[in-house]
Order: sequence, then C-alpha cells, then structure tokens
Amino acid sequence: MAATFLVRLRQPSLQLWYETNADHMKRILPFIIILLVLGVAVGSAYYLKRSATDVHPVTNTNGVAPTTAPITASTGSVPGAEPAHTLGPTNAPVHLEEFGDFECPPCGLLHPILIQMHGEFGDRLQITFREFPLVPAHQHAIAAASAAEAAGLQGKFWEMHDLLYENQKNWHETFDVRPIFEGYAKQIGIDVERFKQDINSEAVAQRIFQDGKRGHSLNVKGTPTVFMNGREIPFESLPAEKLRVLINAELSGSK
Amino acid sequence: MTSVSSAAQSKRRNLIYILIALFSLCGLADAIYLTIEHITGQSVRCTIIAGCSEVLSSPYAVVAGYPLASIGALAYFSVFSLAILALFGYRIAGQLLPLLAIAMCLVSLWLIYLQAFVIHAFCQFCLISAAVTFVLTGLAIVLWRMK
Repeated sequence: MAATFLVRLRQPSLQLWYETNADHMKRILPFIIILLVLGVAVGSAYYLKRSATDVHPVTNTNGVAPTTAPITASTGSVPGAEPAHTLGPTNAPVHLEEFGDFECPPCGLLHPILIQMHGEFGDRLQITFREFPLVPAHQHAIAAASAAEAAGLQGKFWEMHDLLYENQKNWHETFDVRPIFEGYAKQIGIDVERFKQDINSEAVAQRIFQDGKRGHSLNVKGTPTVFMNGREIPFESLPAEKLRVLINAELSGSK
Repeated sequence: MTSVSSAAQSKRRNLIYILIALFSLCGLADAIYLTIEHITGQSVRCTIIAGCSEVLSSPYAVVAGYPLASIGALAYFSVFSLAILALFGYRIAGQLLPLLAIAMCLVSLWLIYLQAFVIHAFCQFCLISAAVTFVLTGLAIVLWRMK
C-alpha cells in the first residue's frame, strides 16, 4: 500500500521526503490523531459548559429581550395562572419566578434556599411559584400540584407548598398519595371535604395548565427553573451563596 | 496460504480497532455531555424524561470528588488511544485494550445494578454509555480470540 502511494508521488522532492519520513510519520501519526481528538474533546466540553452557564434573557413573542423591569404578566407571551402565588410585595425591586414540581428532588433542595432568601431580603424580594409538574417523569406531580392549588383556593397555598416540599421523601414513593395530602390539608387547617372536591376541579386544573403554558412560552425545559427579573438564572447559580450574590447585584443595579 | 490468511486476519483486526475507536468516540461524546451536565447542574434539574436527575444527584455519581461521568470520559479516551496505537502496530496497546474494556464493562454492570435496585431510576445517557461499553467489550473479546 505504501509502495502504491510512492508510485503515485510524481514529484521527486515529495517522494524523497516521504521515503525519509515515512517511518517517522507512521510512529507519530497515532499520537497526532490522539492529540487531535483530545483537542476536539476539550474544546467541545468548554463550548458545552459555556453555553450551559450563560444567563439566558427571556424573550417575548417579538424576540425582544425585556429590560430589567420586574416580571409582570407581560413578560413572556403567556401570563400564567392569575392571581399568581407570590411571597413579598409586588413593588419589590427583585422578582424571582420559580417553575417547580413538588416531586422533583432538586426543587425540594431549592425550597429552603428560597425561604432563606425571602427571610434575608424581606420587602426587597418577591417570589412567585409556578406549577410545572413533569409528567410522565413524576407519577404524583399532578396530584401534588393539584393539592397545592386546592389548598390555595382556601388561601393556604404556601402552607401546603411548604409541607409538600418538606415531606417530599415521605410521599413520592407512596402508591396512593391522596390520604397523605388530605392529612396535610387537615394539618394546615383547611376544610378537608372541600379540599377533596377542589383537587379534581376545573379551577385547579386550569391554574396548573396556565402555569404550564407560561413555562412553555418561556422555554422552560425542566425544574427548578428560576427567572430573576425576566432572566433565567443558571441552575448552578441556585445554591444560597451564589443566589444571594446575584440578588445583591440586581438590587445594586436597580438603584 | 498462511501469509494470505494472516494478512486477512490482520485486516480484520485493524477493522476491529477502527470500530473500537469509533465506538469509543461515541462513548466519549456521551460521557463529556454527561460531565458537563453534571458540572453545570443541567441534568440534576428534573426534566420530562425521568431518571437523569435522580441518578446524577445520587451519591454514586461522584467518585473521590470527581463526577463519575468524567472518569468515564477518561476511560473512553484511553480506549480510543489504545485502539489507535494498536492500529499503528503498538502491540502493548492491543494487549491492554481488552483488559480495559472488560473493566469498563464490569463497572457498567455495577452502575446498571445501582440504577435498577438502589436509585430506582434509569438515566438514558448512562444507559447509552453502558451499551457502548458492552459493544466495546464484545469487540475486544473478538480481538482476544483472534490472537
């Protein structure tokens, strides 16, 4: 094969070069290939990491990125369920909007962090929770979202929200979660009979649907996804210490 | 006659080395993707496809502080390197290749066991990696039997 190749070499200088270097080339070629693959692997890893950690601005239907104005119903193409479940004042300079699934373990981990941020920043921060149950990944996601929304119809959304997250490990592998959720309803002091009816009501289903629609319009792919004043926060920035820095930066930028 | 069959066998062996190199590149791409997802937390996030968040957020996804997927990437890169070196006549590389492939296969079996019976969730990218490892092991065994 090498001989055929040599015959094809018309130019004497090239032929001479090949004869002199063929053995050497054969010895180093595999290392060149290996280094090339290493380079491509490292390069693609760097590219993937960079694209995953960029802060993605939310765009509306016109493809225009919003300013740092607080999240309002007009941010994104779909407003979501109204009224939204919020903690903190509407005129707070920083708004966090979480798309969550009560059965998702990372959402359960984020829950105490957001509560902590709410305590630390007080009136300067508003937190909105949006339902984004992941079906079929999580078998009880819809039931849990319905339980929270049904409690919300009796003014106790956040109480049920907290119980669902705090006890996630107790119910997420259970076959029948209804008695557990009814127990939570009793615990937070709402009318359990009404709760049982509301869980299957159209009003509850519509709220979950509207929040889901908003999530899809904002290109939410998984949970938890958190937007700060309309910009998606990278998942790796959600630990308390990083989130605190981001909120502080947003606060100093809004002054 | 002997030299003809020997040449044919050598050709077949080279073809297997090329196949191993190609499959290990698939495994490398999968492992790099998983590593980055792990580092940036993207797969730790829950998605409509169940499994990866549970698997990657489990304690088994990290070994000595490093994401398991990064160790997988290193293993696939080693398989690729050995296959290329073996293709260019480095005999020791050809001898190490089946050993590494079998070790990777055993680790993959252990990880499938963990997903099925301990974590109770399957990550599709981890399963792709296991499938690639099984193919690599099959090819490595064919190589071994040719010797």
